[in-house]
Amino acid sequence: MVVEKAENALRLSALDRKASALGLSIGQPLADARAMLPELKVMAANEPADLKLLERIADWCERFTPYVALQPPRSLLLDVTGVAHLFGGEEALIDTIRERLRKQGLIVRGALAGTSLAARALARYRDGTVAPPGEDGRAIAPLPVEALDFDPETTHALRHAGLKTIGQVASRKRAELTARFGAGFVFALDAAFGRAEKPVSPRNPLPDYRTERNFAEPVTSEEIIRATLKSLAGALAQVLEKNGEGARRLGAVFFRADGAVARLAIETGAPTRDSAMIERLFREKLKSLADPLDPGFGFDLIRLSAGRTQKSESIAAELDADANAQKEIRYLIDRLAARFGAHRILAFRPNDTHIPEAAWMAQPAQYAEDSKIEWKRIRREKESPRRPLRFFAKAEPAAMLPSHLRWRSVARALAAREGPERIAMEWWRHQAPARDYYCAEDDEGRRYWLYRSASDLPQWFVQGLFA
Amino acid sequence: MSDYAEIAVTTNFSFLRGASHPREFALTAAALGYAAIGIADRNTLAGVVRAYDALNQIGEKFGAAPRLLVGARLVFIDGTPDILAYPSDREAYGRLCRLLSAGKARAPKGECFLTLEDLYEWQNGLMLVVLPPERSMNPPEQPGGKYWNRGDPPLEISRNNRKPNLKAVQGLIENLRARAPGRVWLGVSMPHLGDDARRLAEWKRVAEEAGIPLIATNDALYHEPERRELQDVVTCIREHVTLDGAGRLLEVNAERYLKPRAEMAALFEDAPEAIAETIRFADRIGFSLDQLKYNYPDEPVPPGKTAQQHLEDLAWQGAAARYGAIPDKVRATLAKELALIGKMEIAPYFLTVHDIVQFAKSKSILCQGRGSAANSAVCFVLGITAVDPTEIDLLFERFVSQERKEPPDIDVDFEHERREDVIQNIYQRYGHHRAALTATVICYRPRSAIREVGKVFGLTEDVTAALADGVWGSWGESLRENEVRQGRLDPANALIARAVKMANELIGFPRHLSQHVGGFVLTRDRLDEIVPVGPAAMEDRHFIEWDKDDIDTLMMMKVDVLALGMLTCIRKALDLIRIHEGKTFDLATVPREDPAVYDMLCKADAIGVFQVESRAQMNMLPRLAPRNFYDLVIEVAIVRPGPIQGDMVHPYLRRRSGAEKVDYPSPSPGHGPADELRDVLGKTMGVPLFQEQAMKLAIVAAKFTAEEANGLRRSMATFRNAGTIDSFREKLVGGMAARGYAREFAERCFKQIEGFGSYGFPESHAASFAHLVYVSAWIKKHHPAAFACALLNSQPMGFYAPAEIVRDARDHDIEVRPVDVNFSHWDNTLEANGSALALRLGFRQIGGFREDWALALIAARGNAYDAVDDVSRRAHLPKRALVILAEADCFQSVAMDRRETLWAVRRLADSGQLPLFAAQFVEEQPEEEIDPLPSMPLSEHVLADYRMLRLSLRAHLMFFLRDLFRGEGVLSCAEISAAPDGVPASCAGIVLTRQMPGDAGVVFITLSDETGVTNVVVWPRLVETFRRAIMGARLLLIEGKVQRSPEGVVHLVADRVFDRTAELSRLSEDAPQFETHTHDLARHPRNVRIVPRSRDFH
Repeated sequence: MVVEKAENALRLSALDRKASALGLSIGQPLADARAMLPELKVMAANEPADLKLLERIADWCERFTPYVALQPPRSLLLDVTGVAHLFGGEEALIDTIRERLRKQGLIVRGALAGTSLAARALARYRDGTVAPPGEDGRAIAPLPVEALDFDPETTHALRHAGLKTIGQVASRKRAELTARFGAGFVFALDAAFGRAEKPVSPRNPLPDYRTERNFAEPVTSEEIIRATLKSLAGALAQVLEKNGEGARRLGAVFFRADGAVARLAIETGAPTRDSAMIERLFREKLKSLADPLDPGFGFDLIRLSAGRTQKSESIAAELDADANAQKEIRYLIDRLAARFGAHRILAFRPNDTHIPEAAWMAQPAQYAEDSKIEWKRIRREKESPRRPLRFFAKAEPAAMLPSHLRWRSVARALAAREGPERIAMEWWRHQAPARDYYCAEDDEGRRYWLYRSASDLPQWFVQGLFA
Repeated sequence: MSDYAEIAVTTNFSFLRGASHPREFALTAAALGYAAIGIADRNTLAGVVRAYDALNQIGEKFGAAPRLLVGARLVFIDGTPDILAYPSDREAYGRLCRLLSAGKARAPKGECFLTLEDLYEWQNGLMLVVLPPERSMNPPEQPGGKYWNRGDPPLEISRNNRKPNLKAVQGLIENLRARAPGRVWLGVSMPHLGDDARRLAEWKRVAEEAGIPLIATNDALYHEPERRELQDVVTCIREHVTLDGAGRLLEVNAERYLKPRAEMAALFEDAPEAIAETIRFADRIGFSLDQLKYNYPDEPVPPGKTAQQHLEDLAWQGAAARYGAIPDKVRATLAKELALIGKMEIAPYFLTVHDIVQFAKSKSILCQGRGSAANSAVCFVLGITAVDPTEIDLLFERFVSQERKEPPDIDVDFEHERREDVIQNIYQRYGHHRAALTATVICYRPRSAIREVGKVFGLTEDVTAALADGVWGSWGESLRENEVRQGRLDPANALIARAVKMANELIGFPRHLSQHVGGFVLTRDRLDEIVPVGPAAMEDRHFIEWDKDDIDTLMMMKVDVLALGMLTCIRKALDLIRIHEGKTFDLATVPREDPAVYDMLCKADAIGVFQVESRAQMNMLPRLAPRNFYDLVIEVAIVRPGPIQGDMVHPYLRRRSGAEKVDYPSPSPGHGPADELRDVLGKTMGVPLFQEQAMKLAIVAAKFTAEEANGLRRSMATFRNAGTIDSFREKLVGGMAARGYAREFAERCFKQIEGFGSYGFPESHAASFAHLVYVSAWIKKHHPAAFACALLNSQPMGFYAPAEIVRDARDHDIEVRPVDVNFSHWDNTLEANGSALALRLGFRQIGGFREDWALALIAARGNAYDAVDDVSRRAHLPKRALVILAEADCFQSVAMDRRETLWAVRRLADSGQLPLFAAQFVEEQPEEEIDPLPSMPLSEHVLADYRMLRLSLRAHLMFFLRDLFRGEGVLSCAEISAAPDGVPASCAGIVLTRQMPGDAGVVFITLSDETGVTNVVVWPRLVETFRRAIMGARLLLIEGKVQRSPEGVVHLVADRVFDRTAELSRLSEDAPQFETHTHDLARHPRNVRIVPRSRDFH
């Protein structure tokens, strides 16, 4: 069951069969539905995802005809003029489409008619119908007026007048209808009856980030392969630039003349469309391969595609030196990652917490998001650092004796001590005693960062060293 | 051990910052032996009265308590560090209130924008403690600048106002010292941040250089360290983050609690003078809330007279007007009451209420007082109430607490549609600076608490919704384990357990202040020098920072100006009676004790009658069989959670019917007279029914002092007052048992008192309501047409939908006529019908029709409209309006078929249409030759009626399904009513109301069909099984057993429940021949449901 926000309340927007069998209905507020069925499983409506699914089905349908139009939220219109005979006739075509979509787990209704409106109306109310040529009017006459999808006000007016089927409406005089519902209404009615046609508008193609080159003569030279990658990258960069995007993941596919296919993929830390850089990254990748790319008898097709892209503003915006330095670092990271693997190139990022050992973490550098907090906020101006230079990943136990500290089996006489800085642990994760941190200096000038765990048996630890 | 006073306490009235109640701070401070405790919430005084009350109670109990220091933590928007401001005397307190009021006036509701300039203006007499910004590792807090920009002069908001800047603090101290010499301190705390000692030394130097004292605080946010968790949670709620994402927004440790004095001394070892300074600081404060002398406005008293003289004059004049010759009993009562009023010096209070009531009467707005003092003879003769003291014997002195000289409580109900006039008059007469509403403290309830806490713990909305939905209603005190289970969640899950635990702690925390519905505080002097006043969400309304309990504590006067729909209805009905029948009545002159009225009520013929029209009341009426006014008082009070929970209803009914002997529980012989309860319970046959009786019982039987009884009353009234009611349990039950009463009786009394808690119903309120019950019943009995008409014109109100009101009117032989373009007005009206009156429905009954359309239509009506396009031409209505009229079948007098009319209307040009599109329609419309449309079946007419009017005069929907159900052996409602006790039967009908009273789990459903209504009871064990049908259906089929009580009250007790809503679709001639997957088709374009929703009461 899916809910959507409408009219200031969460309302049901789609139901599965079981839910409708239980008496729930579309448009019902979620609160009411919950009162009826506390155990309801609810998902939030996701319009983009629904559209994506519809597009995928449309893609699939293109095997039947190139003219596939989307009618969101849940209809597709296929113009099958002149193609039905390829699939064994109209009846067979509609059955094939319905059957095969059903096998994919979809609930399908479909019909075929001479006009798009008639087909749509039939699909909704007479699943599987094929209206014989020129008989659209006869086929849809017994359908309720709702089938034509007029606005609710018009539909309501027609029903209220006792004109409940399309046939009844069509039997009224045209002037009578025009005077009440306007010329557009009569036109739509004509369109349904095949007396006027509404054009089908096929889908806009999605931008395709894919370039490829065919070779008449299979190529084996690494030189040529690299040059090809570079020129493909240049072509790809143009498409990306036009769409204001940059690639985060790129894939190269090498089709060998004997049918074998090799694939390479690289990732970048920031959206990129610099062809030289892309080529270099592939070169790094090629070099790092334990099993180098074997051209065998040569490649006859090389394809480069951008698997993941991201919005990226124009290069011209990054002129200042700081940004360039950043870019250099990112580039270095990408190169290293291409060669050694993303998980081995790490970067530290500050973490917003009071717990000292959790105050930073290492992340794969390519994926590390820029942290909202900056390092310098933690340390104050003109004061000694509050956290040690050397931080032990695991605090080391120590013993605090009246005169000295015993740590790593050595007694150190303490000369000065400041504190405590009391840090409480994160109670919502696990109960742990608070810690009292001290800065301490021994008589030889070594500075320690110590803490005492405030449990029943106080226990001392050295957490780090300042110098 | 050195003495210590904490001066920087942030309670939970600093919303979402403090994590303890003022009361908890007060108790802890007392336990730790603090000399004083200073409540200083962020720019507010909202929490001080609660601390004051708590400390007073501690003082009474133990003889000593810490002193309360009243102050505020001033938080500025211009980057100034926080400053604690404590008034040294009453005048300075007034200035602090003015300062906070000024800050609130320029901010949106709930906020307060202050600048240093404001402090300079009002600082005289204020003791100022500068709190240098904490140098913790918390990231700087951004000031709430987004609202800023409306004040004058425009101010720059410093971006990082939290950055420690020694120079800035020194500069601030310098400036303050110059303006407030000797009244500036530097406050320091030791929050365990590592460099505490260094900082203390630094601030000590700064203070010395500036020549001001250093003062110690612990800047407390909660009373005990365990509350840190809750403090983290409220911080997350405030910042809209989860615990995992909050990071350093949270406090680093749990140190900001009230610490033992020795620990404070140890912390400030290097600066003991800072600890000693807290005592000196407290000693310099000469202000206490005791000094807030409330004064009554003197407008109502004419010059040259005292208030008491004037009240006495008015009273005797009024008595003469009411009675002519004043009966001796009334004379005696009046004299006694007036003497008591004189002794308590509360005459101005009565005069003020009288003044407001007088205004309402001058505008002929109906009103009636209720409340503890409202049923006095004085109020009757002043016209504040219409309950004649000779009819009911309420002892005035029982309701006023003489020891405390506390003003009594009078609420006045006004017609709901005209209350605003009264409020505006109050503002005009007293001015905005002297009249304001009291506040209502909106607290976290289980639902809101779990929802917010769930978010903080990162639970998905689904899980929190499941938890929240597990709570029926929202008045419970805590989330119980079975409620968690009901949400299908495992209470043993650690995360959920933690969230529920936190939510339970959060319940009862104040969330924000809101205006009370109508509680006015009026004063002679400026109100904003007594308490800060701020703007309310409503334009031109202001409210103070204290709620009614705080007002009570400080013994300030409050008048509740409330709205009551029934008064509107009664006024409209009386107007109709005057116009159509030439008889004039008012609340006080309606003939009393008319047996015919009681006959009607005994038959439970009470649809529309005030209070007694609910299911439960209608069941009670035949059992109680009221025969006089006092019976109605009992009727009103008995169907309430208090008597029901205390199991007092059945004993009372048994005694009334004579089935049980009336006796009075008595103490053991040694403990007092055996009939000590006869006085208390005599009027109610030995069964306590009223709130006052419960109080009196506590005093007489459990030997409570008057003060204790008062505390009991208040702990009942206040939601979850930190569990205080439990402390009274042992005292009451134990006290009664110790004196020889049966423990079981004592337990029941206490249960009842608990039940009174949220729904208290004192006898005095019941009496005022009973009067309205009588008046509305009298109108219904003798002027049923006027009554139904007035009820319809006062909607929405009451229990029943228009369809039921109309049906009831027709059952009483009133002809009801349809809405018609030639006869109807906006309101429903009465028309002559031979010697009787007929009810003509008005345009207001049509869903979606507008009053201005109706007025235009009526204005252009002339003699009559004779055609549809005649209406269109003359009234210039938009096409939309005409379509609605046609759909609602309002052209019947123009004699056209509904369908033909609608078809014709659709053809008319729309006067509001854009010219471009208008060309599509023919301007001058020639006669049209068209074929007849299919005729409209009756069932479709009825459906269309329901859709447009939510009622039909043609037929009941069930009429069309009768054959279908008859075939299944289903009885009609009338047949159920006539069936003998115990027979199995089934019944089907449209769901009118559903009720789930209390937490018993039983559901009451009222079904309606063309023959009447049937009352269905569904026992809890069935509710879960049939939940879907019970909650969702519009048309229900019930199988069960008829249950008939000796008084003839009939119920159908359900065994099985079926949702038959789908049958309704048969009513349209186009029954669903087609399966569709677009369910939205079932809905009307204007989103009107065909069958009106039931009215559900939880």
